[in-house]
Amino acid sequence: MTFINVIHAHSTVLLIVSFLLFSFLMPILERWKNSWCATMAVAAHVLAFVFIGNLSWRVFTEGTIHYELGGWSPPWGIEFVVDYLALFMLITISTVSFLILIFGTVDLTHELKPKVLGLYYTLYLLLVGAMMGLAVTNDFFNMFVFMEIAAISACGIISVKSDRECVEASFKYLMLSAVGTGCVLLSVALLYMIGGHLNFAFAAVAIQDVAHIYPNNILVALALFSVGFIVKAALFPLHVWLPDAHSSAPSPSSAILSGLVIKIYTVVYLKLLYKVFPIELFDLLPVFDMILILSALSIFFGSIFAIVQEDIKRMLAFSSIAQIGYVFLGIGLANSTGLTGGLLHIFNHAMMKSMLFLSAGAIIYCTGIRKIDDLKGIGLKMPVVMGAFTIGAMAMVGIPTTNGFISKLYLALGTLDANKHFYLAIILISSFLNCLYYFPIVINAFFGESEEEDGEEEIQVKKLPLRMSVPLIILGAGCMIFGIFPKYILVIIERAVEMIL
Amino acid sequence: MIDFADVAMRLFENMYYLVSVILFVIGFHTMLTHSNLIKKVIGMNIMDTAIFLFFVSTGYVQGGVAPIIEPGVEQAYINPLPTALILTGIVVAVSVTAFALSLVVKIYEHYGTLDAEEIMRIRSTES
Amino acid sequence: MGETTTSFLPVFVTLFPMLMTLVIYYVQKESAKLRNKLSVITSIITFIAVAAMYPQIIRGDILVFELFEIIPEMGFVGTFRVDILSFCLALISSFVWMLATIYSIDYMSHEHAQNRYYPTLIFTLGACLGIFVAGDFFTLFIFFELMSVISYVLVVHEETEEALKAGYKYIIMTIIGGLALLLGVINTFELAGTVSLEHTGMITTASGLAFATFIAYIIGFGMKAGMFPLHVWLPDAHPVAPAPASALLSGIMLKTGAYGLFRVFFNVFNVEFLQETNWIFVVTVLAVITILLGSAVAITQYDLKRRLAYSSIGQMGYVLLGMSLFTEAAILGAIFHIFSHAFMKGCLFICAGAIIVKTGKRDIRELGGIGIKMPVTMIAFTTASLAMIGIPPLNGFLSKWNLALGALDGGAPFYVVVLLISSLMNGLYYLPIIINAFFGEEVLHQEIKADDVPFKMLLSIVVLAVCCLIFGVSPINLPFDLSRMATDLLIGGGI
Repeated sequence: MTFINVIHAHSTVLLIVSFLLFSFLMPILERWKNSWCATMAVAAHVLAFVFIGNLSWRVFTEGTIHYELGGWSPPWGIEFVVDYLALFMLITISTVSFLILIFGTVDLTHELKPKVLGLYYTLYLLLVGAMMGLAVTNDFFNMFVFMEIAAISACGIISVKSDRECVEASFKYLMLSAVGTGCVLLSVALLYMIGGHLNFAFAAVAIQDVAHIYPNNILVALALFSVGFIVKAALFPLHVWLPDAHSSAPSPSSAILSGLVIKIYTVVYLKLLYKVFPIELFDLLPVFDMILILSALSIFFGSIFAIVQEDIKRMLAFSSIAQIGYVFLGIGLANSTGLTGGLLHIFNHAMMKSMLFLSAGAIIYCTGIRKIDDLKGIGLKMPVVMGAFTIGAMAMVGIPTTNGFISKLYLALGTLDANKHFYLAIILISSFLNCLYYFPIVINAFFGESEEEDGEEEIQVKKLPLRMSVPLIILGAGCMIFGIFPKYILVIIERAVEMIL
Repeated sequence: MIDFADVAMRLFENMYYLVSVILFVIGFHTMLTHSNLIKKVIGMNIMDTAIFLFFVSTGYVQGGVAPIIEPGVEQAYINPLPTALILTGIVVAVSVTAFALSLVVKIYEHYGTLDAEEIMRIRSTES
Repeated sequence: MGETTTSFLPVFVTLFPMLMTLVIYYVQKESAKLRNKLSVITSIITFIAVAAMYPQIIRGDILVFELFEIIPEMGFVGTFRVDILSFCLALISSFVWMLATIYSIDYMSHEHAQNRYYPTLIFTLGACLGIFVAGDFFTLFIFFELMSVISYVLVVHEETEEALKAGYKYIIMTIIGGLALLLGVINTFELAGTVSLEHTGMITTASGLAFATFIAYIIGFGMKAGMFPLHVWLPDAHPVAPAPASALLSGIMLKTGAYGLFRVFFNVFNVEFLQETNWIFVVTVLAVITILLGSAVAITQYDLKRRLAYSSIGQMGYVLLGMSLFTEAAILGAIFHIFSHAFMKGCLFICAGAIIVKTGKRDIRELGGIGIKMPVTMIAFTTASLAMIGIPPLNGFLSKWNLALGALDGGAPFYVVVLLISSLMNGLYYLPIIINAFFGEEVLHQEIKADDVPFKMLLSIVVLAVCCLIFGVSPINLPFDLSRMATDLLIGGGI
């Protein structure tokens, strides 16, 4: 019984610590028994499900959990807060990364050199642990530390495959990420100077008191935070690292980077905007308008750039830029419908984009083809993969009965509630643009005739392993199920939104 | 009217902040304009150093001593929190630098040059 | 006015075909015959299920069913609601679909990729019926998009270069229409707070947003109905599909757009509001242009199926014109024309399919003397064409008569002139085909067997032609009675 008590009392920190522990043990395991690395990584995720199950039960029955590390209460100790928003992110991160990991255990054996295969799981578990830490953190410096862990491990899972594009893309990502983190640290310094607290709740109170004495500090801090998070979440115009990084990385890395990593920064930004900065500030400074404009540009240009791409993973990467624009649109609208739509889109896009990247990975695994033009007729040879891709494409465009439609519906209603009809037009036009670059692939795959130049250029298809097709099927089913019954996930999101606004 | 003496005095009093801002700009500028990859990494380091300087200097209390408590003696101590935080930050910066430099080594193996523009040219001509 | 009863039938007619799609898809690995039989049986059962709603509908009841809540806070619940208008359209759809499926068995026996065709056909049936039995605009939108996307597979069935281009144009324009429709539905929700079809006159105050909503609906549903200027996908997509699919695309799927506009005019806005703001004039003008354009361009086409496609554009113009005139006779004419056109155009397309199967020729200049070789087919073709032109006592005449009466009632004799001119043009492009077929010289110097097409194809052709004949000016006219009841419903308050 004491074991259960331990879990019950300390789930929050055990969740993150378990990931860190497993990732530290991984290099040892790699030397000793290399084949167990993948299993250990999966076991870490299963353990995480146990903790998250416990946390969700507690949050639903008791309300927000405040966990103090080491028993030191804030402001002297570090605090983790698990409210509905954090719970939502934890559930999203754990489920999607679990499915990506299962896919990766097979795919990576072909993409990476054997001696780095075990080390990949180290970086992967570090990344997932850091993202979970970012979801629950309530402390400035804690946030900084987890951000850095996430940045290094994210760059790591790109450069672990040592092709020239991977290394270059990883370097660019690292440099830009360092700029972003630098800006964030500087703004933490500015806020600490006047507030004297690092805990979000205490800092908010302190900043509220001194806002009229030191307005410049707060303004500059807000600006630097925005810049930092815009770099990390790849919003236009600071998105330049994303296409290279996501397209050259191994497919599971692309999936987790596009699906989860850029999203967690939007959630942290949301937490900062609403929990730390005083409300009056937003009347003085049009932060939300600026976010809206940047998100509109992001949506528009992401889609436009995606249309002209030839490589399938690069196109998916540009599509991610557009989709993160939707999430920021939800944040920028600042009303409950819009915010619900933005948060729901985090969940939906995590599922859709992971599924799309994993199917692209499956196609590359089985046929070695990356150019869109060469993918004619592949639908008949790989029906499961292309079926998943088709569901993902339909969800991205926003066809009803898929989950993408529900989040776009909420966003559209949010724009109407906020009386910003221009953004409604942006949403609709961008859905149409999405269709322009997704449907040709689907059409080509199912109805195109494979080019037979000498009669021998037929695409050679390897068989798809079960461990790769099962995550695709689960994600595809998830897209459709959450398209028809979104209320299961909406329950959490709506309570989260209520607490924020 | 701007009183230059007054401004100079205030700048001098806040010398740490001024220097850290100048360093930040130098570091950022280096990162952006120099095309040698190692110089970019150095620029990142200068930028991080500037931020650390800024943060640590906020912890200084006039007339305070190092925060080691001697029992029985009442003294003003400087704020230990920023120094602790910056220790972590320095460690992080070092790890990022190490990682970045190892990436630079790998890039050099692939391309044979450390110049970013040269690399762009090689990539665009061959792809 | 009857009461509202709960019945599972609306859900059944929608979901049964969709579920059977999966069964058919798996069965086809076993045997092609089983797949064919199963498809036909599915369509027959669906038709019987729709017809089973008849006794309750005739009494004036409305059948509702609440399936499940999708987003309860928003009030988006999947409801189904069948009133007379829905019943009319569901009945004609399932009837023609049943005949088209029977026809498909022999027509498609020499085609490829039948494994894709039959499941898609049945699934589209379910989605199409879903549009008609939907109880609120949200559900309608869901089924509308589903039908649009899945019917793409039917359009590009041949997989030729031409088919792929036509299909691409079709799906792009359909998605644009769908997005415009989504804009309309969202705006309606914003302005009225509900999108359920239980209310009429949801938006009755004029504002910029209301007008934008109106235009969004026009674009969304008009794109599907082939209204000028959104018809450009139609002349490419309909000819390129296999003949039974063309019959369904022209005969039924265009009507979903018209049905949607019916619901917009009577449920979202109401008649008085549209007349007083005169927004309906936009529709009238576009309908007139559609009629004249469709008929005129049809005269210049030499490909048989393309000519029929342009003719469909013109005929849908009649329905839109009738809808927009808002007099009792005009609406009666519009609804009855939905029935008649489904019969007529369905018959014409499948006759065209029979001709193409037998002779391989699509150009009408090469179809001389074919009436002798394929008598039954060409007699059916003639019947349907005469009905199209509007010769009494066929059903086309009855609908045009009512439309003309409606125009006169509305005090706008101009539209009668339009009707007459377009009937003349209809004659100009149908009669040459018939005359050439029976009295023309034999251009074909090849030996065709003197027997006609296979029995199952003949069955559908003959049934549809007979429907054109008996549902004209005759005492037993079920479609006409149904149309009259639907008109009473709409004029009388729309609930």
